[in-house]
Amino acid sequence: MKTTERQTMYDLTSVLEFDALSEVRPGSSILISGPAMSGKDRLAYDILADGLREGDGAVVVTTGDGAGSVVEEFRSLVPDLDDSQLGVIDCRGEGGTDEDAIGNAHVHHVSSPGDLTGIGIGITKALEGLHNAGNEQGRLALVSLSTMLTYTDKKTVFKFCHVLSSRLDSAGYIGVFTIDSGAHDDQTLQVIKQAFDGMIDVRDAEGGGREARVLGLAGEPTDWQDI
Amino acid sequence: MSDSDLPVVLIVEDEPDVAETYKLWLQQEYEVRMAQNGDEGLEQLDADVDVVLLDRMMPGLSGDEVLERIRERNLGCRVAMVTAVEPDFDILEMGFDAYLSKPIRSEQLHETVDNLLDRSEYDSLLQEYYALVEKQATLEATKSSAELAESDQYDELTQRVTEMRDDLSDTLGGIEDDSDFIATLRGLSDDEDN
Repeated sequence: MKTTERQTMYDLTSVLEFDALSEVRPGSSILISGPAMSGKDRLAYDILADGLREGDGAVVVTTGDGAGSVVEEFRSLVPDLDDSQLGVIDCRGEGGTDEDAIGNAHVHHVSSPGDLTGIGIGITKALEGLHNAGNEQGRLALVSLSTMLTYTDKKTVFKFCHVLSSRLDSAGYIGVFTIDSGAHDDQTLQVIKQAFDGMIDVRDAEGGGREARVLGLAGEPTDWQDI
Repeated sequence: MSDSDLPVVLIVEDEPDVAETYKLWLQQEYEVRMAQNGDEGLEQLDADVDVVLLDRMMPGLSGDEVLERIRERNLGCRVAMVTAVEPDFDILEMGFDAYLSKPIRSEQLHETVDNLLDRSEYDSLLQEYYALVEKQATLEATKSSAELAESDQYDELTQRVTEMRDDLSDTLGGIEDDSDFIATLRGLSDDEDN
């Protein structure tokens, strides 16, 4: 990968306390994997919200939540949010959103989670909007790859992730992508993992609560740890 | 590739002077074919053609129509639209891989053609990379970690996956700008339709 030295590392430890997440290189793409209802999407949003508080831009590619509710969500996560630091690519194919609901956020609607060109154009416009709003760094979340995989095959999703990672690399962004580990066969999961620099595994802990581990970003896989 | 082994560029341009100029600039490095209008362009087009330079405004078939027929024929060639006005991203949505705004300088033309060839290389590397990753994943999904540790085939695959990953990073020149990014994604959807 191209090195983007002028930029500083991303520190995700205030969201997840792992040493392996203290210096995430710009351009890194991370897969967040876990069973249904294990808080993957929440974790992805928290990583973006943390960035917004630090002055990073945020781009959300959503296949489930509408643009309006994503903006609302971030307004509540980051009370002094400046909407212009947020881009949303709404892939539900449900057309326009209430203008008031999205404020100054950079919102783009795409016809379906399988419309890769449309998603690409949306991301491009969001990155441009954030750049013009003065953001040099940022974080992108794609929620979720599992929905994309119901619209298009694993080969196409793999390539999409690879191409998007390169784009994020040249923008100096980091990306987090969620996948429901229970919704796909082992081979599909192994293929998709290969498109990423690292992975955060999330699961329900035996005694209640949740735990996570980090693989591939720095050194050996970490142990499971409560989150 | 054709007889000469040079990449083939097809110029579809109704103004002879302009077409000749492009040819002059390109003929050292590429095999150049010329067509004066859309119909002629479609006749000259075959699997050997790597890049098409397509004037948007021509008498007869328009550039947009020619593009549509090129895509229908499922040829792997890249198409750059030559236009008098600076277009928006929308042009990429229509299926062009790149655009050039007139007047075009020699340097710019070379850059665009080279870039489109790079992108073709990136696509085929990505395809090859995927095939390796899929094989590797199949082994991982069907064998125990003890079996994998013993397997020379798995060891070799893992090495090749790492090498390909580096090769792909080196070829990333093709995805630096927005039009490359979007056109590459569009290519993925096209592949899937085939």
